[in-house]
Amino acid sequence: MKEAMATPNKQGGGTWKKLKSQWTLQLMILPCIAFLIVFAYIPLAGNIIAFQNFKITSGFTGSDFVGLSHFAEMLRDPTFHQAMKNTVLLSLLYLLVVFPMPLLFALLINEIPFRRFRKLVQTTSYLPHFIAFAMVASMWIILLDPKGLVNETMQLLHLIRHPIEFWTEPGLFRPLSTLISIWKETGWGAIIFLAAIAGIQPDLYEAAMIDGAGRIKRILHITLPNLIPLFAMLFILKAGTLFTGNLDHSILLGNSFNKDTSYVIEYYSLQMGLELTRYSYATAVSSFQALMSLLLVLFANWFSGRVSGNRLF
Amino acid sequence: MRSYIKLTREDRIVNATVTIFGILAFLATFYPLYYLLIYSLNDPVDAAGGQLYWFPRQFTFDNYAVIFRDEQLLNSFLLTVARTALGTLTGVLFTAMGAYALSKSRLVFRKTYSMIGLVTMYVSGGLIPTYLLLQKLHLLNTFWVYIIPSLFNIFNALLFMAFFRQLPEELEESAKVDGSGDFYIFARIILPLSKPVLATVALFVAVNHWNDWFSSAYFVSNQQLWTLPTIIVRMLSDTAIIENMQSLPPNMRMDPLSTLMAIKYATLIVTVLPITLVYPFIQKYFVQGMMVGAIKA
Repeated sequence: MKEAMATPNKQGGGTWKKLKSQWTLQLMILPCIAFLIVFAYIPLAGNIIAFQNFKITSGFTGSDFVGLSHFAEMLRDPTFHQAMKNTVLLSLLYLLVVFPMPLLFALLINEIPFRRFRKLVQTTSYLPHFIAFAMVASMWIILLDPKGLVNETMQLLHLIRHPIEFWTEPGLFRPLSTLISIWKETGWGAIIFLAAIAGIQPDLYEAAMIDGAGRIKRILHITLPNLIPLFAMLFILKAGTLFTGNLDHSILLGNSFNKDTSYVIEYYSLQMGLELTRYSYATAVSSFQALMSLLLVLFANWFSGRVSGNRLF
Repeated sequence: MRSYIKLTREDRIVNATVTIFGILAFLATFYPLYYLLIYSLNDPVDAAGGQLYWFPRQFTFDNYAVIFRDEQLLNSFLLTVARTALGTLTGVLFTAMGAYALSKSRLVFRKTYSMIGLVTMYVSGGLIPTYLLLQKLHLLNTFWVYIIPSLFNIFNALLFMAFFRQLPEELEESAKVDGSGDFYIFARIILPLSKPVLATVALFVAVNHWNDWFSSAYFVSNQQLWTLPTIIVRMLSDTAIIENMQSLPPNMRMDPLSTLMAIKYATLIVTVLPITLVYPFIQKYFVQGMMVGAIKA
C-alpha cells in the first residue's frame, strides 16, 4: 500500500528515503554539477550582455539595455564582414581539403604490405597532433622564412628564383593554414578510420577476390563503403564549426601583413572584448557566431539524414 | 591470408605506390623536426650559409647554452610541470568521481544530471562571458586559473562511465554487504581497478595542460606565471632574443641575424623534444582512449 502511494508522487516518501540512503553518492556528483553550473551555464547566461551596454562597475543588472544595436553595428562593420568571409572560406577549405585527408591516408596506409613499416608510418604520423600548436606554428614560421629551409630547397631545385615571402603574402595564408592543418591532424584523424577498417569482416574480401575483384576494386567497393557512415557522422560534427574558424591559426600564423585573409570572427570578437574592452559588442559577435553554428549543426544533421540516412540525432 | 595468393601485377603496383606514399608521409612528418635538431646543433653562421640537410656540419652546443641561461625559461618550465601535475591529478580524480556517481543507475535525479552535462557538450558560454566570470572569481592572473576551470570535462566523464559500466556489479554489492560507503567503494575498490582508463584520461588531460598556450596569453598578465608554450612564443620574437644575446661568445655576436635563427631553432627543439621522447611509450594509451571514446560517441 505504501509503495503504491509513493510511486505516482515523485517527491513522495520513496524518493526522499532513497536520496538519504545515497547521500555520499550525491555528494560525489554535486561538485561536478556545481562546476558545470558555474563554468558552463553562468557564461551561457552571461551572453545577455550582448543586449546591454555592459560596464563592469554596473554589473549585469545595472547596465542599460540596448536591444539589438550591437548586432546592427556589427553588421555595418566592414571588418566584421571581412572576418566572416575569411572564417567561412577557411572553414570550407578545411572541410573540403583537410577533412577527407585522414580517410585517404587510412586507405593508403592500410594497404602497405610490410606490417612493421606500416606501424612505423602510422605511429609517427600522429606525433604532430601532440605537439602544441604554438610550437607547430613557430616551427613552420621559421621553416617558411625567406631564408628558411623551404625557400632554400626550392631555390636549389631551381623552382623559384627569389625567396617567396610566405608569411607576408595575404594570398598565401589560406593554402598555408590548410597545409599546416593537414600536417598536424591527418595522422591522428586516421586512427579512427584504421580502427573501422580493422573491423571489416575478412570474408567480404575473400568473397570479392573469388569473384575476381582486383585490389583497387576491393578497396573501392568494400573498404570505402564501410567507412562512409563514420565519415558522414564526423563530417556533420565538423560542419557545425563552419562559422567558428581556427583562432589559434589566426593569432599565431596571422600578422599585420596577411590580416586581410587571416583574420577570423573569433579573433575579431576577442580583440573587441579583451583588448578594446568592448565586452557587450564582443559578446554580441560571439553569440551571433554560436547561434549560426548551432543552426548549422542542426541543418547538417537533417541534410545528412535526407541524403544518406545517417543522422546524429 | 594474402600470402597464399599469388600477387598480381595490380597488387605489385598498389604495394609499390602505397609504400612510396608511406615513406613520403614518414619523411614529411619527421624531417621538419629532424631539421630543427641538426640546425640547432650547428654553428649559426655556418648554418646560415645554407645547404644543411642531413648532419650538423659544425657541431656546437652554444645555441642551447644561451637558452638555458634564461631564467625565465627555467621558471616557466617548472611552473608548467607543476601545473600539469596538479591539474592532471585534480582534473582526473574530480571527473572520475562524478562519472562514477553518474554511472550508477540508482542515483536519484540521474536523468537531470545527465541532461545538464549533455547540454554543455553542444552549447558553450563564449569567451567574453567566461573571461568576465574568471575576473569575478578572482582567478585571473593567478596559478589557479589553470587548475580550477579544468576540473571537470564531460567527454572524459563519458570515457570513465563507459569503463565503470563494464565493471561487475558484484564488486560493489559485496562491499556494501560489508558495510562500505559509496565513496569508500569508489576510492578503495573501483579506482585501483580502473588503471587503464585513468592512465588514458590522465594523458589526455596532461597533454592539454602542457600544450596550453591560450590561458597564459589571455588570462594571465604576469609573465612569471606564464606556461611554457606562451613563453616560447614570446621568446621567439626577435626583441626577446636580442636581449638575451648580450651574454654570447663574441663569434656569435658578430652575425646577430644568423644567431637569432639558430637560437630560434634550438628553442623549438627544447620544447618539442620532451613530447617526442615520451611519445613512443605512451602513444598506445592515446589510441586506446580515442577509440573507446569514439565508439561510445
